[in-house]
Amino acid sequence: MEQKYEEEIQMLEQEIEMLEAEQEETLRSIFIEHGDRLQQELKSVCEERGGAQKHALSKLITEVRELEKDLRRQTEINGIALNECFVKTLHKSERKLVQQLRLAGHCSVLLFQVEFAVTEIQEDDALLRRVTELNIVVDGVEFKDFSAFVSRFPIWRKSRLHNRLHNIKVVEDTKDLLLFFRTLRTFSERCEERRQTFQHFQEKYPDVVSLPEGCRSELMIIRSPQLPGISMTIFWKIDVSMEGVIKPRLELLLKIPDQAREFDTKKVTENGSEYFQSLLRILGVEASIEGLIRTVCL
Amino acid sequence: MDSEMETIEQGVLGHLMALERGGMGQQDQQESQRLEMLKIRAMSLRAKRDQLKHQTDAVKILKDKISKDLPLADGDAAGGFTELKKSLLTAWRMQLKDLQRAHHLIGGYDLVECKEGKSVCVSFHTAFEGVYLETYNMELDLTRTVQISRHNIPPSFPLESFAKQNLQKDLKTFLQTLNQNLNALAARRQQVCLLKELVGSVEVMESNQLCNILVLMCTAQGETPKAVLCTLEYGDLTQCLPTRVSIECEDKTLSESPQWKKNQSLLLESPAHAALLTMRRMGSIA
Repeated sequence: MEQKYEEEIQMLEQEIEMLEAEQEETLRSIFIEHGDRLQQELKSVCEERGGAQKHALSKLITEVRELEKDLRRQTEINGIALNECFVKTLHKSERKLVQQLRLAGHCSVLLFQVEFAVTEIQEDDALLRRVTELNIVVDGVEFKDFSAFVSRFPIWRKSRLHNRLHNIKVVEDTKDLLLFFRTLRTFSERCEERRQTFQHFQEKYPDVVSLPEGCRSELMIIRSPQLPGISMTIFWKIDVSMEGVIKPRLELLLKIPDQAREFDTKKVTENGSEYFQSLLRILGVEASIEGLIRTVCL
Repeated sequence: MDSEMETIEQGVLGHLMALERGGMGQQDQQESQRLEMLKIRAMSLRAKRDQLKHQTDAVKILKDKISKDLPLADGDAAGGFTELKKSLLTAWRMQLKDLQRAHHLIGGYDLVECKEGKSVCVSFHTAFEGVYLETYNMELDLTRTVQISRHNIPPSFPLESFAKQNLQKDLKTFLQTLNQNLNALAARRQQVCLLKELVGSVEVMESNQLCNILVLMCTAQGETPKAVLCTLEYGDLTQCLPTRVSIECEDKTLSESPQWKKNQSLLLESPAHAALLTMRRMGSIA
């Protein structure tokens, strides 16, 4: 008799656990698929005040408001915006938690998608956590420079030109999730600096400066309409090493027509790029570029 | 006399039997109490299960309605509508908590406002090769200028100089610099732990708090095992790889050999423990 009850109790407890997990999953999936729309609808609910009906929900509403506020704070300080977040709990027990997460978002204009699995084990008073799988997809014109760094992760890079996923050879599978985001942030900042500088010069000297591949690309051409055939191309690359070291690298390419070469007694075309490097060291990027532009503004 | 004995026996037996009955009765009582408790527990669990089942079904119906773009407020009784909103809000809350956790897991600063906005607390999470290591915390006082009020960053770490550079003018850069340096420090330290653990044959002769120098004694394999001293200098504290590696051995031919030139490159290009494991695997060291 007792045993019958004990068995039933055990069965019920398992059922309850399953139902709770199922409910959680369904709720999560509702938000994954329809989050935006629902947020719109619920915003009105949250903004309404008073009413007996609302009292039951007011605690939830306050919680949601607080969480939204906190999320805005985290997004701002971390410099990473997460648009999508799928969490799947594969295993949950008193001492162990295994989850799979799929995140999509952007860091300034750089888009990323990250899939990873994390295992947490509670050992005495320490929590051991490790990333057990990691896959990364990045998208953006700027990621052309990212190749050495991305080779350490299993990364697929979307190429706008070819419109398919390139599987980049994995050199080292290190699952360094935090390194990826740290590097992404810094890389994004360097790209933004470049974009702002290029855009600034194009706006200031629209006749002379052109950005044939847009302001997010790595090249800027300086050409004066009064000096046909002469052009100065600045390549502003942002190298990312395998260890995540980010180094902006500027190079100058000078072109003058063949007839003009005769007059180039000081060998400017040959040494121009070196002179530019010296200029960069002394004056810095903005002043050096401005200097170059001024030379063709007759 | 006999009858007296009989009575006494009856009495004793009777007493014993009464005691037995009494004892069993207690056991019975206990049993029936326990049974009652189990019955009650089963009942309450059943009720909970049924309620959950009802809720789960309601949520599934809700999901279906939303998928089919049906109006949610379906003219339901007021109570029903509240239940609906409750489910949605619960879903929203769960999603927000998931996002918070995601920010935490990708190494975010977990910024928390304290003292009504007068100060903030940030955390620096460190990790190396997928393993999460120490978390350092810091409280920044924001009342007049930005000041570090509390932290648990090791004293050997040049916190003051970083604060001087960036703290006032650019908080994000300050946090990023600290994050980068702390992660590099954790990585270098972890490499020392790992090499001690995985490559027991190598002796750590010298190391320090900032882990910017590492001197290792290896035993080179050969006809006669020879001691080789590897000095790893970490000139760039934002990195976890050395900037300079020098190999010293009494036997100059060994340290100049192509094998050891290769080992020197290995130590420059990969984490110390990985390089040493490779060297051992290739039979270069013991």
